[in-house]
Amino acid sequence: MKRPNEIEREENAMGTLVELTSVFEGIASMRIAQIKNQVLKATQFFDELWGIYSQLRVDTSFRFGRSQVEEDEIVEKELYIIITAEGGFSGDIDQKLIHTMLQSYDKEKNDIIVIGHHGAVQLAQRGVSYQKYFKLPVKDQNINVTPIIRYVQMYRSTTVFYQEYVSLMVQDVRRIALSAAVQAKGQRSESPDDIITEANYIFEPSTYDVVDHLERSMLHIAVSQLILDSKLAQYASRFRAMTASHERADEAKSDLHRLYNRAKRNIKDERLKEIVNGIKKSKSGAII
Amino acid sequence: MLESTKSVPPATPRSSDLRGGKDRMHVKVYAPFKTYYDGEAQSISALNETGPFDILPRHHNFMTLLSECDIIVRTDKGDEKITINRGIMHVKKDRVIVFLDV
Repeated sequence: MKRPNEIEREENAMGTLVELTSVFEGIASMRIAQIKNQVLKATQFFDELWGIYSQLRVDTSFRFGRSQVEEDEIVEKELYIIITAEGGFSGDIDQKLIHTMLQSYDKEKNDIIVIGHHGAVQLAQRGVSYQKYFKLPVKDQNINVTPIIRYVQMYRSTTVFYQEYVSLMVQDVRRIALSAAVQAKGQRSESPDDIITEANYIFEPSTYDVVDHLERSMLHIAVSQLILDSKLAQYASRFRAMTASHERADEAKSDLHRLYNRAKRNIKDERLKEIVNGIKKSKSGAII
Repeated sequence: MLESTKSVPPATPRSSDLRGGKDRMHVKVYAPFKTYYDGEAQSISALNETGPFDILPRHHNFMTLLSECDIIVRTDKGDEKITINRGIMHVKKDRVIVFLDV
């Protein structure tokens, strides 16, 4: 059995771990509250913008704001965008996401863009090459997604694999076609009461310029929101992992404390036994 | 000083929009994460590709892409100046919405 002072040292170390996991848990919880608020605000903005776009009667399909891209420049492949965590500590959700993506991935038909260092490392470990890697934005507001949108506009279609926050304890991996994502987000907005056309509106500089700009803007907001959603899920996943680690560390600390008490009692018992034996022997006249 | 560069036909005036004999309209200037102004105003001035312009109550339905400028919202309490990089302005039925950072 270990000596009590050794066990005490281990218990102290475990105590530090308990405090550390508790701090990480607290930080994750705080970030979840902040990001949830951001997601709600951005959704309201998007809905109002979509309300206006959906009243416009110019074109029947969402064109990804591609007026600046020539038709023959469009890559006839489907672009996969995967949104993962920047570092570790995010539980197993990134592995799940990459596993889901690889189930439908075909090298000939798909190109991959990775957001988040953890995803890039995971792909490299699996020997899967990707087109481009972007760091997961640190800030939660005004995320610059322009470089990603440039890639989106270059491809015929785009699918985003992201992590969805269901609840604090449940996070899910989702895939969504980007044009559907824009429309799905817009479906939450109110139905248009009036139709916007050149007959009843003045457009400056021109109708097509405004529509094109609106499409690009909504694409930006949709991608930013998917990144925010993923960050929210990652923090929740981290919170879950830290809660589990905190509980395990707390249990281990209690076990060590029990072990320490037992070790100390053993020493006391040994000493007591030695004293009692000594007394017995001295009473029986033995020479000690 | 900013001056109106638009000659747009006014929408039909509605008596319900004439508050206390003075024309007012609702103006909201906001970005995805921040609201810069949300309230009644006498007018709003901004800049687009064509040049500087003013929007007054009963303005015709209008949609424009804004250039980098200072938006001036004139209210009863004074002028509100908002510096912007870009935005989209939507005017309909005495309600002006300016979407920023889009």
